[in-house]
Amino acid sequence: MKRKTHVLTSLLAFSMLLTTLTACGPKSNEGGGANAAKAGNGEAKDTITALLPPVSGEFQNNFAQMEKDFNALYPNLTLKIEPASWEDMTQKLDTQVNAGSPPDIAFIGSDGISKYVQQGMLMDITETATPEMIADFDPAPLEYMKKGEGLYGFPAYMEVHALGGNKEYLEAAGIDWKNVQKNGWTYEEFREAIKKGVVKEGNTTKRYGFVFATAGVTAKDYLNILIKNAGMPAAFDKDLKYAYTSKNFLEVLKAIRQLIDDGSMPKELSSVDAGKRWNMFLTGQTMITGKGLATFENSAKKNNEKLKANDGSAVQGSIPVEYIVLPVPTFLGEEPISSTVVDGYVTFRGKKEPTAEHKANVVKAAYFLASGKVAATTNNDLFAAHITKSGREAAKSMTVDRNPDNVAAVETMLSHANPARPDIPVDLGAKAIKIEDAVIIPKLQALLANEITPEEMYEAVKAEAIGTFGQDGIVND
Amino acid sequence: MALYSNHTGHKGVKFARNTFMIIVLVLFALATLFPIYFMIISSFGDPVEAGALSYTLWPTKISLDSYKFFFDYSEYSYRWLLNSLIVAGSVTVFNVVFATLAGYAFSKIRFKGRNVLFFILLCAMMIPYQVTQVPLYILIVNVFQIQNTYSALILPGIVTVYNIFLAKQFMSSIPNEILECAKVEGCNQFQIFIRVIVPLSKTVMAVMAILTFMDSWNTFFWPFLVTNTMDMQTIQVGLKNFRFANTTYFAPMMAGAAISAIPMFVLFFSLQKYFLEGVTVGAVKG
Amino acid sequence: MAHLAKAQNPPKIGKKRKWKGDGAWAYAFIAVALVVYAMFTAYPVVSAFIISFQEYRPLGSVFIGFDNYVNTFKDSLFWKSITNTVVYTALTVPVSLFLSFAVAIMILPFKKGLQTTFKAVYYLPAVASGVALSVVWLWIFDPMTTGILNQLLSVFGIANQNWLGSSATAMFSLVLMAWLSSHGTSIIIYLAALLGIDTSYYEAADLDGASFFQKLWYIVIPCLKPTTLFLLVTGVIGSFQVFQNAYLMTGGGPDNATTMVGLLIFDNAFKYFEFGKAAAQSLILTVIIAGISLIQFKFLGNDVEY
Repeated sequence: MKRKTHVLTSLLAFSMLLTTLTACGPKSNEGGGANAAKAGNGEAKDTITALLPPVSGEFQNNFAQMEKDFNALYPNLTLKIEPASWEDMTQKLDTQVNAGSPPDIAFIGSDGISKYVQQGMLMDITETATPEMIADFDPAPLEYMKKGEGLYGFPAYMEVHALGGNKEYLEAAGIDWKNVQKNGWTYEEFREAIKKGVVKEGNTTKRYGFVFATAGVTAKDYLNILIKNAGMPAAFDKDLKYAYTSKNFLEVLKAIRQLIDDGSMPKELSSVDAGKRWNMFLTGQTMITGKGLATFENSAKKNNEKLKANDGSAVQGSIPVEYIVLPVPTFLGEEPISSTVVDGYVTFRGKKEPTAEHKANVVKAAYFLASGKVAATTNNDLFAAHITKSGREAAKSMTVDRNPDNVAAVETMLSHANPARPDIPVDLGAKAIKIEDAVIIPKLQALLANEITPEEMYEAVKAEAIGTFGQDGIVND
Repeated sequence: MALYSNHTGHKGVKFARNTFMIIVLVLFALATLFPIYFMIISSFGDPVEAGALSYTLWPTKISLDSYKFFFDYSEYSYRWLLNSLIVAGSVTVFNVVFATLAGYAFSKIRFKGRNVLFFILLCAMMIPYQVTQVPLYILIVNVFQIQNTYSALILPGIVTVYNIFLAKQFMSSIPNEILECAKVEGCNQFQIFIRVIVPLSKTVMAVMAILTFMDSWNTFFWPFLVTNTMDMQTIQVGLKNFRFANTTYFAPMMAGAAISAIPMFVLFFSLQKYFLEGVTVGAVKG
Repeated sequence: MAHLAKAQNPPKIGKKRKWKGDGAWAYAFIAVALVVYAMFTAYPVVSAFIISFQEYRPLGSVFIGFDNYVNTFKDSLFWKSITNTVVYTALTVPVSLFLSFAVAIMILPFKKGLQTTFKAVYYLPAVASGVALSVVWLWIFDPMTTGILNQLLSVFGIANQNWLGSSATAMFSLVLMAWLSSHGTSIIIYLAALLGIDTSYYEAADLDGASFFQKLWYIVIPCLKPTTLFLLVTGVIGSFQVFQNAYLMTGGGPDNATTMVGLLIFDNAFKYFEFGKAAAQSLILTVIIAGISLIQFKFLGNDVEY
């Protein structure tokens, strides 16, 4: 039979193929050098890997300098920074975590910590971080990096999610914004204020009083900053009962509908995204916008300069705008609690238990990134407040052009920042997130689109919460 | 002579028919071209942030600043383009060779387990990559330890089931007589492949080359996952670096996208002649 | 040598003995594909299969039997997302197929220069960056009166619609986007197949005095069957996995009206770290798609010989 020769031919082809594939072998060892876990034989040499997004405009450009500075500080250590785009880095990190080989340090939001703690892939640095390091950080943001008993990294900044107003329009509507910045405002005051901000021409609204980006998943940002000011700073109260079944929650939902029905907010709010509302703000289609971050002042300023230059580069149809930081109104006489976001350098472990030495080195690197010059430069870029003593020190020589009223307003809001809740167990936290994604966000979208009533949404959330936590696991008031 | 009866009918009818078709084609083209148009006019804008993006049909200002910004933004801008060329180029060549071979085997050679094997291959396409990517990552990074190399970028894409399927379907219309004739003349399967199949399959190979190149060039996630230094990133990964915490440098990103589209055009027009003229069986000389 | 000017109807491969011994060649030809497949696809798929019976943890997964499957079958959101995906697929895939076919046919009679221009024009959008596309589409679907689609409607005196924000129109908006987005790939594949049809068929038909539509029906459509099958099968597979559009445009909302099964799997794998559940859902999805594909093969693939 001829078959034998043909089998030989195919075997030949097969082995050729294998050589092609194995030819990649030698290269692979080169690439493997990146593996940080191999803490070589020299007792001190070590490599620390960090996965970092473009935190600020200049951040990724400074990587080389940061690596060099770190090496100068600790000659035996090498800091290897992997750049990643902001929105995709979670997916990369998650893949690495699931594969059991995350980087030593990653820059993430503190709300992500519990997810990784649950996976058992975070490195507790409570014992490793020196008292000097700990003392350098403001206590409030540092709390955000804790979960249960553990400390899982260092915070980079603490930003307030607030509102932003157009100074000219605020004054035209008779709003004493300086007073609001200092003393806050209640929902009722806010409601009246934004009603006055509306400008109509016949039946069409030329300017709204308030526009918040709520398209898609950003809807939850809107709800979250409101409910914090309605006595529900977190998904669980002090006794770890689920908070969003409280009557106050329903009141906030009613308010959300009310503002739209008043005509102070557009009825199409449910598909206004972040870009759209900023465009509306710059083109004078709204008096107040949200969510507002400190850097928006900078963006508005830049556009004003372009308008002055009059070279066609400014936003189409935009007008000069002076950006005023405003606090979120409070509900039902509750204390104002500003919604804060803490992001930072979180420390990970691989499949193998890291050695004490490597652990110490990772902490050194995380501290290097989160404090001093690096932190000062980054936070200034972002218009974010400094949260380390060393950062404030380093920032003294740098100048930032900001509206002093806004700086003061941010300081005021930070003084009643939403406290961290390391006491919420990770599994409860995970369940709350699940309810948020599966029920709260979809129903909120429907509420904004005027497809369900606040009561229907409230009942849906309550039913889901009872199903998850039981009658006794929720707030009944 | 062809599908359209050009030699019969009145001139007026033909003119009316062609005019109608042109209008339909142009209208449909305008609808599909609009995003590209927007991409290009935005790329001539200032390197501003996306929040400040103007929605306008006409550019208010023509400047090449964004293109300059793109290349100045990172010292690796050129390197990203080069990496993409290397990766997409090799993936394309490998696919055209191996997928054509496999497609021929699956469409024209009878062998045991052909249909079952093919369907198993096809099933691989049906599994969402979200679940396979973690095991694949473990394989490439933890087992082979080839992260951050060209091998890691190229190997998993050497031959795709999509292309095998494409080749198989196209080859199924090649008449079997030709193959039989070649057999009678004493050609073995490899000779048949080279002398008969390849000349007859230029069209599908050209199509495959273009589609594979485009796909590989546009792939973002895998290169992003397995590279960890800027010098190994591809253009798509690099482009994403224009997005910051709360802002996006929209115009430079569009400029980068416009630049990154150029190689695909070059390839498209250089392969164009292969699918302008249909390959007719009669034209092939055994 | 053999100068085959005339091609008859493709006859079935008849004489089996002639093809004996070619099997080894066949295996050699598919060897690379199989090795690559075994390594980079089969291995991950088998891993995913194992993971689907586990509560996955990077450090020590726990075997939990069929829990992931049982929970998935009980999950109403999973079925809702399957329904959404089926609706989306049924509305988009056949229409895009028809549009690509029509465009390809219409391009055909023109001179080379014009053909090239049109081909390039239709191919162009495929090279556009996804971000550019989503930005443009957000502008088109802008809910205010300034939105492109709303401006179009206002010409007819219709009030502005909240396209992506209302559950009545969100799915339609995504479908519209698919209809008007690039069909470049399908058009090019169809054109290539059209040009591959032997002109002798048309000549014979012309002699019989066949009309354009008769030729279309009796020659073009049967000859393009393998291509149509290819585009249909890959189109359905692609559509069942689609999540990018929903992810970028609506995030699955409002009220899960546009949650696709791909998006759900993505969320389970990465948002909730329920990797086992994601794997189980993927495998269920695969079985569904495989079933649909088999039906397509059955109805369109009689020349594929099963």
